[in-house]
Amino acid sequence: MVELEKVYDDGTVALRGVSLRVPPGCFFGLLGPNGSGKSTLIGMASGLIRAPRGRILAFGHDVVADYHHARLELGLAAQDIHLDRFLTAQEVLVYHGRYFGMSQADARTRAAELLGVFDLAARGHTKPNRLSGGMRRRLLIARALMHRPRLLILDEPTAGVDVALRMELWAYLRNVHREERTTILLTTHYLEEAEELCELVAFIHRGEITAEGSVEDLVARFGGGRLEDAYLEAMR
Amino acid sequence: MATRTPSRWVVERRATAALAGREIRRVLSLWTQTLLPPVVTGLIFLAVFGGALGDRLDLVEDVAYVRFILPGLLVLTVAGQAFANASTSLFQAKSEGYIEDVLTSPMRNWQLVAAYLSGGVVRGWLAALLLALIALPFAGPVEHVGLTVGALFLTGLIFGTLGVITGIWSETFDQHAFVANLLITPLALLGGVFYSADRLEAPWRALTRFDPIYYLVDATRGGWTGINDASIAVALAVAAAAAVALYAVAVALVARGWRLKP
Repeated sequence: MVELEKVYDDGTVALRGVSLRVPPGCFFGLLGPNGSGKSTLIGMASGLIRAPRGRILAFGHDVVADYHHARLELGLAAQDIHLDRFLTAQEVLVYHGRYFGMSQADARTRAAELLGVFDLAARGHTKPNRLSGGMRRRLLIARALMHRPRLLILDEPTAGVDVALRMELWAYLRNVHREERTTILLTTHYLEEAEELCELVAFIHRGEITAEGSVEDLVARFGGGRLEDAYLEAMR
Repeated sequence: MATRTPSRWVVERRATAALAGREIRRVLSLWTQTLLPPVVTGLIFLAVFGGALGDRLDLVEDVAYVRFILPGLLVLTVAGQAFANASTSLFQAKSEGYIEDVLTSPMRNWQLVAAYLSGGVVRGWLAALLLALIALPFAGPVEHVGLTVGALFLTGLIFGTLGVITGIWSETFDQHAFVANLLITPLALLGGVFYSADRLEAPWRALTRFDPIYYLVDATRGGWTGINDASIAVALAVAAAAAVALYAVAVALVARGWRLKP
């Protein structure tokens, strides 16, 4: 991401010249308070927010000029859970796979595999509005993984979920990162989540990247004993 | 296991087919809401105007009234249902947020419009086909099948695309209903379905001829009964141009992300 800027129609300045690189294979955390620009950054990368000023490349493909190839590399699990209520859980996955060019047979096989991985196999024929919040969250992440993206983007995947489910999701994400060798860009404002999962972390504040590095680097740079201390210092 | 990456063309074809399939499946699975009501409404119009009142109404252009009004009712059915389906489905996907699944996909903008349009036109054509099959024994034979089908084909494209544009534009259900109630319904009812424009006095005759639906009704009537007021060639050419223009507008709006992306 190079020199990204975003001003919404109402005049809100969401991003001010953000440049960021997520290394392939990395579990990368983007940390910032509410309204700092995390979701805008992610929306721009995935095509949900209008073309930015600046440039975003996904594995060499420009997300605006070459959106066809760029989007095949990206999988998005947005902060809010939006699932097609006319489809069952299995169909949500199969249709997503088809939207990304998978054959019917491949999409069915992959959907069955992911329903198993995310402990949803028994609910494959249930519509999303009949699933619990935790199941819907898992289904959303499974959907983002359907077409085997090289970069999985997770926008606050554990916002508003209870501790038990959060731990469960952490285990799934570690497994996906390890087993599928997927690069993960995670936004969160739970610092312990980033500390637990991420190899590299960036702080974003008022639309600007204020610091980036490993957890150890950031703690060493800003002081304190934990990422939380470094974060609070960086946000001053 | 390594899988072969399909070509761009294959990816886009599968994606478009999947979204179109989802739209058509929605129409078929909700048939009591999408197909049954327009067919019943059309049959009620035919029963009242063609059956109950038909004997008391004069022949129009030398054809029985039921035969005269059926082509217009088919246009009304295709127009209303194609518009309603495309606009409602897109509006729902947008307002409930699950359109993000499509907007983040590698589908091209024109393919996205085509897929949403497909559900609308299939609904409109299916409902009209059912109505025509039921009414056929009472309304007599079709004189020019190609012309009838062509005019209804263009009707579906025009109003389905108008539905896509309305679905993109609408941010509330009221806005969505506004277009249906204050634009589509009046145009449809003033489009010469129930009367011949030649029998009207000024200014009604001129007003009717300003209504674009009039030309679709007239062309369809020309196909079904062999009798029409205006030039069929001009009507079809204008309808085709309108369909292309509306499609181009819809694609441009999607490309710009207007009311779809902040």
